[in-house]
Amino acid sequence: MGYSRYDFTPLLHSIDQWLYSVMSPAWALIVELTLIGLAFLIFYALVGLFLVYAERKVCGFIQNRVGPNRVGKYGIFQTIADFIKLLMKELIGTKDADKLLYNIAPYIVIICSFMAIGAIPFAQGLLAIDFDIGILYIISVSSLSVIGVLLAGWSSNSKYPLIGAMRSGAQIISYELSVGLSLLTIIVLAGTMQFSKIVMAQENGWFIFKGHIPAIIAFILYVIASTAETNRGPFDLAEAESELTAGYHTEYSGIKFAFFYLAEYMNMFIVASIAATVFLGGWMPLHIPAWNGFNVVMDYIPPVIWYFMKTAFVIYIIMLFKWTFPRLRIDHLLTLEWKYLLPINLVNILFMALIVLLGWHF
Amino acid sequence: MTNYQFMFFLLSAIIIIFSILTVTTRRILRAATFLLFVLVATAGLYFMLRFNFLAAIQLTLYAGGIVVLIIFSVLLTSHISQKLEKASISKRILAAIAAIAGAVLCIITILATEFPTVTPNPPETDIHTIGQALLSTDKFGYSLPFEVISILLLAAMIGSIIIAKKRKD
Amino acid sequence: MLIMRHELLLVAILVILLLVEIFLPEKHKHRIIPLAIILMGVVTALGFIPGPTGSLFGGMYSTSNLVLIMKNILNIGTLVIFIQSAEWLKKDENREKISEYFIVLLSSLIGMFYMISSGDFLMFYLGLELATIPVAAAAAFERFKEKSAEAGVKLIFMSALSSGILLYGISMIYGTIGTMYFQDVAPKFTGSSLQVIAFIFFFAGMAFKISLVPFHLWAADVYEGAPINVTSYLSVVSKGAAVFILMILLYTVFTKIALMWRDVVYIIAILTMTVGNLFAMRQRNIKRFLAFSSISQAGFILLGIIGQSQLGMTTVIYFVLIYLFSNLGAFGVATAISNKTGKETIDDYDGFYRTNPLLSLAMMLSLFSLAGIPPLAGFFGKFFLFTAAAKQGLFILIVIAVLNTIISLYYYLLVIKAMFLNKSDQPIAYFKSDFYTRLGLLICSAGIIIIGFASPIYEWILQLSHGLIY
Repeated sequence: MGYSRYDFTPLLHSIDQWLYSVMSPAWALIVELTLIGLAFLIFYALVGLFLVYAERKVCGFIQNRVGPNRVGKYGIFQTIADFIKLLMKELIGTKDADKLLYNIAPYIVIICSFMAIGAIPFAQGLLAIDFDIGILYIISVSSLSVIGVLLAGWSSNSKYPLIGAMRSGAQIISYELSVGLSLLTIIVLAGTMQFSKIVMAQENGWFIFKGHIPAIIAFILYVIASTAETNRGPFDLAEAESELTAGYHTEYSGIKFAFFYLAEYMNMFIVASIAATVFLGGWMPLHIPAWNGFNVVMDYIPPVIWYFMKTAFVIYIIMLFKWTFPRLRIDHLLTLEWKYLLPINLVNILFMALIVLLGWHF
Repeated sequence: MTNYQFMFFLLSAIIIIFSILTVTTRRILRAATFLLFVLVATAGLYFMLRFNFLAAIQLTLYAGGIVVLIIFSVLLTSHISQKLEKASISKRILAAIAAIAGAVLCIITILATEFPTVTPNPPETDIHTIGQALLSTDKFGYSLPFEVISILLLAAMIGSIIIAKKRKD
Repeated sequence: MLIMRHELLLVAILVILLLVEIFLPEKHKHRIIPLAIILMGVVTALGFIPGPTGSLFGGMYSTSNLVLIMKNILNIGTLVIFIQSAEWLKKDENREKISEYFIVLLSSLIGMFYMISSGDFLMFYLGLELATIPVAAAAAFERFKEKSAEAGVKLIFMSALSSGILLYGISMIYGTIGTMYFQDVAPKFTGSSLQVIAFIFFFAGMAFKISLVPFHLWAADVYEGAPINVTSYLSVVSKGAAVFILMILLYTVFTKIALMWRDVVYIIAILTMTVGNLFAMRQRNIKRFLAFSSISQAGFILLGIIGQSQLGMTTVIYFVLIYLFSNLGAFGVATAISNKTGKETIDDYDGFYRTNPLLSLAMMLSLFSLAGIPPLAGFFGKFFLFTAAAKQGLFILIVIAVLNTIISLYYYLLVIKAMFLNKSDQPIAYFKSDFYTRLGLLICSAGIIIIGFASPIYEWILQLSHGLIY
C-alpha cells in the first residue's frame, strides 16, 4: 500500500544493527533503552507544553476571550515561561507529612503515564513495544496511577487533599470499568489486542465506521469515561477549586506540582491517542473501499500527521467538554457510571458480539 | 552476566528488599506502598518469562486492584500520625527465628529438589490460547473454575451488603 | 448436566431467592423464610434420587456415590440450620437481611459441594474459598454487636492466613509435579523432601479450617461471637465438608506418603481430643462450650482417618452424619433459649427441666449422643471409629481416645446436671417454642435415635465406599 513508503521499520532496524555492530550486545541494549527513554522524555515535554497552551487557547475561544497573547507571538512562549517559573519555585511541604510517600507520589503518577505511552503506535513501526496484549497492558498500567493520587492525598497530612484523593480514587476506579469495557467492544470486533494489528485491520475503514452503531456508542462511552478517568472537567471533582482548593495536589509546589500537572495532560494525550488508534484508525490514512484514487491521495499524507490530527481532534473534544459542561456532584458522578454507563456498555458488548457473529459489520 | 540475568537479579532484589520492608515498617500506608513495588516487580518477572497476559493481569488485579483497595481502606480508617505498635523484643526475636528457620528450610529443600523441566524456551503464550483455555471444558480447560469464581464474586458482594447495610431506626 | 445436579439445584435456589428479594415488596420480606426452607427441603429430597455419577470438565469435577451421600448429609445439615434460624431471622434487627443470610449460606454450601467433588487443586481451592468467605460475612451478621463483628474479622483473617499456607503447599506440589489434577498428582507424589514440606503446609492449612489443635485458637472466639446459627453451621457443615475432603485427599493424592501422614494425624488427633476436652471443661458460655467440644470431636474423626481403609472412610462419614444431628440438636435448643431469653451461659440453665421439660429432653438426647452413650447414635459412631483404629493396631491411641470420651462425658453431664438437678431461684421461664424450632429439634432427635438403631444406613455407606481408594 502507498502508506508504507513512510514505514519507520527499516530506519529503526538499521540503527539497531549499527549499534549492535559497533558495541557489545549488552551496551547496545543499554544505549537503545537510553535513546528511547530520551526520545520519550523530549516528546513528553513538548506535548505537555503544547497541550497546556492549547487548553488555554481553547478555553479562551469558548469563553470568547483571546487567551494567552503576551509572551511571544500569539503567546506561544507563555507555557515555557510558566514552566520556568514552576522550576524556580521553592518546594514547600507540610508539617508531619509522610515525607517518603509525599515524595514518591508524583513519580508514581508520571511513571504510569510513561509506561502507558510506550505501547502507542505513532506511525508504522514507530512504537516502543508491540505486545499481543497491547490494550490490556495500557489499561493495566494506567490503573496504577490512581495509587499515586491516593498516596499524594494521604501523605500530605491535610484535609483537602485527603478528600480530593478519596473522590478521585472512587472516580478513577469506577470509570476504569467503562473505559475497559468500551475498548473491549472494539476488541470483539478486531479479534486482537495488539495495537499494530488493530491499526492494520483498519486499512479498509476505521473501526468506528466498520462497527457502525455499537462502535459509535462505544466511542461516545469511551470519551465520557476516559474524561472522567483522567480527572478532567466536568468530572474534575477531585480538584474542585471552590470546595477543595486544588484537590490531592494542594500541598505540592514547584516541580512536584508540575509533575502532577504534566501527568494529567499526558494522561489526556494517552487517552486521546488510544481513542484515535482504536476507533479512528491510528496512523492509518482514511481509506474508503473502492475509491482507489481517493485512497492513493490520502496515502501521500504521512501517517504521523494522520495520527496527530486524529489525536488532536479527540483532545479538542475532551477540552470542549471541560469548558462547556458544569461540574457534576459526586453522587451524580457515581450514579452516571454505575447506573447508566456500565449497563449500556455491557449491553453494547453483547450487541457488538451479535453483530460480529452475524457478520453485519463491514 | 547477561542482560537477562541482570534484570532477573534486579527484580528479585526489589522483591526481597521491599517484601522485608513491607512487614517491618510501622506505618501502614508505607507497607501498602512497598507491597505495590513487590507486586509490580513480580509482574516484571512475568514479563521476563514472556507471560505477557499474566503480567498485565498481575498489574491490573494486584497492583491496580488490591493495593488500591488496601490504600482506600487505610485512607478511610487511619490517620497519618498513627503508627503500629512496636512489638516487644522477645516477640521480635522469636518471630525472626521462626521466619528465618522457615525460609532456610524451604530454600534448602527447593535448592535440593530437581524440578521437572519443560521445553527450554517455551513459545510466547498468546492471548488466543489463553482465551480458548479459559472457556474450554476439556482437560486443561478452565470454564468450570471461571463460572465458580463468578458465584464466589456474587457471594462476596452479597456478603459485603450484609456488613454494610444500614440499620433502619 | 445431571452429574452436577446438586450444585445446579443450589444455584437455582440462589437465583430464585435473589429475584424474589428484588421483586418482593418490603412488608412481605418475612415470607422469604418459609420459601427458602421449602426450596431447600425440595433440593434435599431431590438429592436423594439416584442419578449418574462420573467426572466432568476433563476430570476437574468428579462425583461418586460416596460424594453424593456426603452432599446429601450437608444438605440435611443446612436445611436444619435454615429451619433453626427462622425465628432468629424474624427479629426486627435482622428482618432486612433475610434473603442475604440464605444466599450467603447457600453459596457457601455450593462452595463445599465443589470442594468435595473437586478433581484438581484449583477447583479444590476455589471451593474452599467459596465455602469460607461468605460464612465470614454471615458471622458478622449482627455487626452492631461488637462480638459478632469481631468474629467476622477473625474468621476472614484466619481463613486468609490458612489459605495462604495451603496455597503455598499447593504451589510446591505443582512445582514438583507440574500438574494440578489429583489423578495425575497421585502417582508422582512420591515424598521427596520438597513434597513433604508441601504436604505439611497443605495439612496445616486444612487443619486451620477444621480447627485442629494447635491451629484451633481462632475457633472459640469466632464461635462465641457469631450468631448461634452461623456457629452451628461452622461447627457442623463446614467442618464435616472439610474433614471429608481432607480424608479423600489423604487417601487418594497423598497415598504414597501414608506412613508419614499417619504419624502426623496420630499426634494431632491425640492433641486435638485432649486439648479440646480440657478447654471445654472450663467454659461457662454454651457457645464456647459447644465450640471446644466440637474441636475435640474433630479429633475423634481423625481416628477414623488414620484407619485408612474402607472401614475408616465409612466410619468417618457415618460419624459426621451422627455428629451433625447431635450437634445441631444441642445448638437448636441453645438457639431457642437464646432467642427467647438472650441467656447463653450454662449457669442460666439451672432448673431448666422444671420449666421446659421437652426442650431439656431434646438437649439431653443430643448431649448424650455427643458423649457417646448407648443406645444413641453417637455411641455407634464412636464405636466404629475405635474399631477402624483398632484394625490398624493403634491401641495406645484408642486408650487415649477412650479416656477422652470419659472426660467429655463428665462435662456433657455437667450441663445435663444443671438442667435436671440444680435448683435455681430464677429458672428460665416457660416459653412456647414456635413451629420451626420444634420441627428442627424433631428432625435432630429422630435422626439421633433412628440412626442409632438402624444398621442399614451404615451398611449402605459401607457399600458405597467400595472402590474409592485408588
